[in-house]
Amino acid sequence: MTRRRSRKLDQWITFWSVPFFFTIFGLVFVPLSWMMPPRSPSASTPDIVAFMQSHNLLVACVLLTLAYGLAPVSNAVYLMQIKRMSVSPAFRYTLMMGAITGAIVGMLFPMFCFGLGAFRPGYSPAVLSMLYDFGYLAFIGSLGCFCVMWMAFGLAILLDKNNVLPKWLGYYTVWQYMSELMAAPVWINKSGPFAWNGLMTFWFATALYVSWQLVVYTCIYRSIKKQPEAELDNADITRTRDSRTGAPA
Amino acid sequence: MNTKGQRILLWTAPPAVALLALAYLLFPVFSPPLSPTLSAEEVAAFFRDNATGVLGVAILCNLIAGSLIPLFAVTAVQISRVATSSVVLTYAYIICVGVGTTAFILADYCWGMAAFRPERDPELVSLLNDMAWFFFIAPVGTIIVQNLCFALSVYLDERPDPIFPRWAAHFNVVTAVLLVPSAFSILVKTGPLAWDGALSFTLRLVTFAAYIVVMFVVLRRAVNNQGSEREVLV
Repeated sequence: MTRRRSRKLDQWITFWSVPFFFTIFGLVFVPLSWMMPPRSPSASTPDIVAFMQSHNLLVACVLLTLAYGLAPVSNAVYLMQIKRMSVSPAFRYTLMMGAITGAIVGMLFPMFCFGLGAFRPGYSPAVLSMLYDFGYLAFIGSLGCFCVMWMAFGLAILLDKNNVLPKWLGYYTVWQYMSELMAAPVWINKSGPFAWNGLMTFWFATALYVSWQLVVYTCIYRSIKKQPEAELDNADITRTRDSRTGAPA
Repeated sequence: MNTKGQRILLWTAPPAVALLALAYLLFPVFSPPLSPTLSAEEVAAFFRDNATGVLGVAILCNLIAGSLIPLFAVTAVQISRVATSSVVLTYAYIICVGVGTTAFILADYCWGMAAFRPERDPELVSLLNDMAWFFFIAPVGTIIVQNLCFALSVYLDERPDPIFPRWAAHFNVVTAVLLVPSAFSILVKTGPLAWDGALSFTLRLVTFAAYIVVMFVVLRRAVNNQGSEREVLV
């Protein structure tokens, strides 16, 4: 049977939504709002007030509220690779639950803290600096949900016998999420390398994260590409679904 | 295995919708929707005067905030039956439902907090109210993606006898588009885009209500057509 369109179209469309999402994410946090690189936790009150009242924060907020639904799609792309591995469904459910909890606490809520400040310029400096702290701490200090996601991802790669993703990526992922934990002290430091804008907790952690993300992404691209057509869920649309989902007949 | 379980879950939707409609009608904050232009003192006075009504609905919504989840769960099961190469769209859909529901619950908590101790500094009551509106109106991103995942799965369905009719996909795309204006409620305090405006408030809620009713009908048909065909989401 000849088909004009790719049989993996669902996987490719969702896959290509990931760079699109990260581009918007980058635009929102860097050139649009200048929230990143993070301002100092010990900035002076007038500086905090001026920043929190900038109109650009609202524009960034609008863009993020429209685009943040793509974060679940990128997580689903990662999940799909775990599904192909010879590991328990518990691994992909872990990633799924981590993704659900992480999206609000690590992304939407911090963005809203900044947006709320800019929405009503009448707020007092005390309220604005609370929103400023809450925004940065929730954004940079959210670790648990993401670490558990990448732990499940790394372990699944290491335990997998189908070689869906390379083993070295598993070790790399485990190392990466362990090193992310070093952002934990942002909750107690107001300056220095372990503050939320610090050399270790922000710059080093971000460099590690971004490069790791690019490597994972490339590996997933190759994995989708390599997936044999016979293994696809729609390999034989006339066949009963049992053989595709692995459910007992 | 038959579809009895799915049908039971599906039929939890009508009472859930009735309760959500009741919460909407009883909620003092929505009749009429509080204007974003109110001063902190006016907002605080509103929550002082309407503390009982707000708290009653906050309690009700705390109980029923997740009551549409079974409808979405059945949708996810049916999306997973669609013949595409993977269940990636199903997973994205499920995560979106979890995230979107959390935003709704946070809105409910913020209004509850505002009414719990309305003698608080008016500035803080106003902040809680702003935050509630932000979480209630603005974060349309997940429901938009949810609808697009559904639509995409229908468009890509390779079954000779598709699970969903194509018009259901078009309907989901239209719904997603109609929800977009709400995101802009953050930018303005007056006019149709403001959080109490014709586009951000009325259109958003009417669209959502119509969407739930239509999806219920679509799903009922899909589940009935499934018959005894074994399909499990893993």
